[in-house]
Amino acid sequence: MSLHLLLQSLLRRKVVTGLLLLQLAMTLALLLNSISLAGQTWQKLHEETGLDLINSLTVELKPTTPTLRQYPALADLLERQMAAVRALPGVVAVAYSNQPPLQRGGTNGNLYDPDNEERTNINSVPVYQVSKDFFDVLQIKALEGELPQAPLLKDGEDISPLVLTQSLAQKLFPNGSAVGRQTNGGTVAAVVDDFYGQRNAVNSNYNRIQVAPLFSVDWGYNLLVRTEPGQADVVQAQLATVLQQVDSNIEILYLRSFNEEHNRLYRNEFGLAVLLGLLSVLMLLVTMVSSYSNAHFHALKRQQEIGIKRALGASKNMIFMELFCENWLNTLAGAMLGALAALALNQGLSAVISIPAISWWLPLLATLVLLICVSAATWYPARIATSVSPATATKTL
Amino acid sequence: MEQILYYVKVSWVSIKRAPLPYALTVFILSLGLGVFFANATFYYQMNSDPLPHKSDKLFFPMMLLVPYECADCKPPSVLSYANVQKLKSSDIPSAEAAMYSSDGYLRLDSTQLPTPVNIRLTEPDFFRMLDVPLLHGAIWPDNKSRQDIVLRKAIALKIFGSTDVVGKQLLLDDRSFAVVAVLDDWQMLPRLYDANNGNHVDEVEDVYIPLETGYDLNYLSNTQSQTFDDADYRQLATDGRSKAMHQLQYWVQLDTPAQQQAYVQFMTNLAEDEKKAGRHPSPVNNQLPAMRDIVAYFGGESGDIKAFALVTLLFLVVCLFNASHLSLNRYLSNQYEFSLRRALGASRWQLQQQMLADVLLMTLFTISGALLIGFGGTKLMNYLWPINALFARWDLTLMLFLLAITLASSYLVTLYPALRASFGALNQQLKE
Repeated sequence: MSLHLLLQSLLRRKVVTGLLLLQLAMTLALLLNSISLAGQTWQKLHEETGLDLINSLTVELKPTTPTLRQYPALADLLERQMAAVRALPGVVAVAYSNQPPLQRGGTNGNLYDPDNEERTNINSVPVYQVSKDFFDVLQIKALEGELPQAPLLKDGEDISPLVLTQSLAQKLFPNGSAVGRQTNGGTVAAVVDDFYGQRNAVNSNYNRIQVAPLFSVDWGYNLLVRTEPGQADVVQAQLATVLQQVDSNIEILYLRSFNEEHNRLYRNEFGLAVLLGLLSVLMLLVTMVSSYSNAHFHALKRQQEIGIKRALGASKNMIFMELFCENWLNTLAGAMLGALAALALNQGLSAVISIPAISWWLPLLATLVLLICVSAATWYPARIATSVSPATATKTL
Repeated sequence: MEQILYYVKVSWVSIKRAPLPYALTVFILSLGLGVFFANATFYYQMNSDPLPHKSDKLFFPMMLLVPYECADCKPPSVLSYANVQKLKSSDIPSAEAAMYSSDGYLRLDSTQLPTPVNIRLTEPDFFRMLDVPLLHGAIWPDNKSRQDIVLRKAIALKIFGSTDVVGKQLLLDDRSFAVVAVLDDWQMLPRLYDANNGNHVDEVEDVYIPLETGYDLNYLSNTQSQTFDDADYRQLATDGRSKAMHQLQYWVQLDTPAQQQAYVQFMTNLAEDEKKAGRHPSPVNNQLPAMRDIVAYFGGESGDIKAFALVTLLFLVVCLFNASHLSLNRYLSNQYEFSLRRALGASRWQLQQQMLADVLLMTLFTISGALLIGFGGTKLMNYLWPINALFARWDLTLMLFLLAITLASSYLVTLYPALRASFGALNQQLKE
């Protein structure tokens, strides 16, 4: 089997070969970028958050009457709600918080060392006002200092100390312990493990926490619940009823597991990865149809040629391989073009979304997938072509 | 007419002779067009202009009037009450309205369960500038604080069971408000008057109350609020009015280029005066984007929809290549028939008429398939990106666009194969 003859055979039908090459190239380009994007989304969905995503729940709620949104009625409501949730079988700990972790954005502010404001200022640090069990719910351990157990008030003003996550503390005070140091938001009482706060923050592990009364609940507040392993679904199913029984003057805005919250963070990326994946499958299907049609049509057109070859002693396997080799050659040429098209598409996509560069091994993998699909599509027409007897094929000569 | 029917009949006979290749061609073309059309629906609707006659006359002034120094900062995307009052000192705009949004609970009386509602706190010019249609009543006459409320039609029906409710009282967060107007059906898509943080994809609000009332009653913004000094954001009535607490959108209507030029100059003078008075240390940085550019200004265009648009276009091209490929094979298989017709005296024009009948049939089948796949595609995209659900709407323009693109695609797919089959050496073709 000569490469020259194979090329000549392909060049005899330039338009058809050209169309097939373009299709193969574009299919490979889309396949490569889809795999890249899917890989990036998978990594994000499986990133380390520092939280128990499976056994933790969050309920966002808001009192529906202005009276209940003000202290002391609000303090009483919070205590009653937390007591009722704590009494549920399977609940390990419950705490209130002005906002949950694992969000895109929320309440945040800047934080700096007043002695060195210009150099240390960090924007958009999430601000949490929480009850003391917040750390127990999230299973966050103190690395330095002591966790505050109650709000600290002076002349009616809240001066509760701060708890910083480790990454934030190191960024703010790189030359030593943060405990006892002053910031524009108060004194640092403790440094705790990192956990995922807000995606839009400078660093998703930067968090600033105060054991303090809720500043305002006009935007709602959250009850964070940790359950015993495997009990999250059971507790989740009861929470709405229990909270309505405590006080019906509330609106439950949503009730989700931490895992659902985490997935929602990357919903757009997940959606795009699914759509591109689906489109890649459709493109492969279209390419297979094309390869099938191409092989079938040209096997029929070359029936006489195949008959003569068979009459001259060519075996069925040789004819079979010849047809396959033609398609493989086409596919490999398309794959080379496709690698270039993939780079161009990657550039185009990176102008509008975040997409990683294509790894060197991906074109090899995608070409292999393409070869398998094209081979599967070519197999049936090649088998039909080789099954024609030399006598029938050369009858009209 | 008879001749056309004959050509259609011949096409139909040809399809029936080899239905599988034809079905594959139609399927692949429908697939490409359907997927393209599903994404084009969102792309077109999200980039549409809800006020085409006015969106180049409505402007959002933004100034870097803040108590901090920053050489390369953009002006805040929401304004403070105090800065809005400074901008209002100009009489250049034909209309102007400051606004923000909040949440509340609505009910007829304290025995009823409260209904959660979105509130827009704004001024009377909001309704005039944005051509908001009124069904009953009239908007409050001036910018003063008053407990008047305007209801959207759907919420009036939900609370009262009727839309003719002007003059009736209801409770918003347990405070009594009088209904002064009910809006007719209105859905501004995209909601360009509040485009920051991607809010332009949301629905318009359920109820509308005066801006000053919102400040008096301490309604907090439910989208973006920023404080640049020691303002307590819970004290809107006091700190909100006097300190650097930013939460307002502010729109002005500037009808002529002369007005627009004069307003730019006014903003420059205002910024320089404020700087001289020592009220802001940052360099002057004024922005005046028009409503039609506001989503791009805030960087709110959906990257995912754009990315998918690029890919669906590519997919459509692949499907066109594939359908052309299949179509070419089909025509080459039928070449003997074409050649025979030529040999019997059919002109090339008659053969091209036959081809046009093929195009018409293919368009008919393809558009049916494309609409089905497009419908499924929009449902899937709604499921994966529920935030854009309001934009999954087909209108006449969009349907005509689909029809035109299907016709063009069918023509392209049929053109080259038909030309190939109707030209060439007749003797050779008949011999084959």
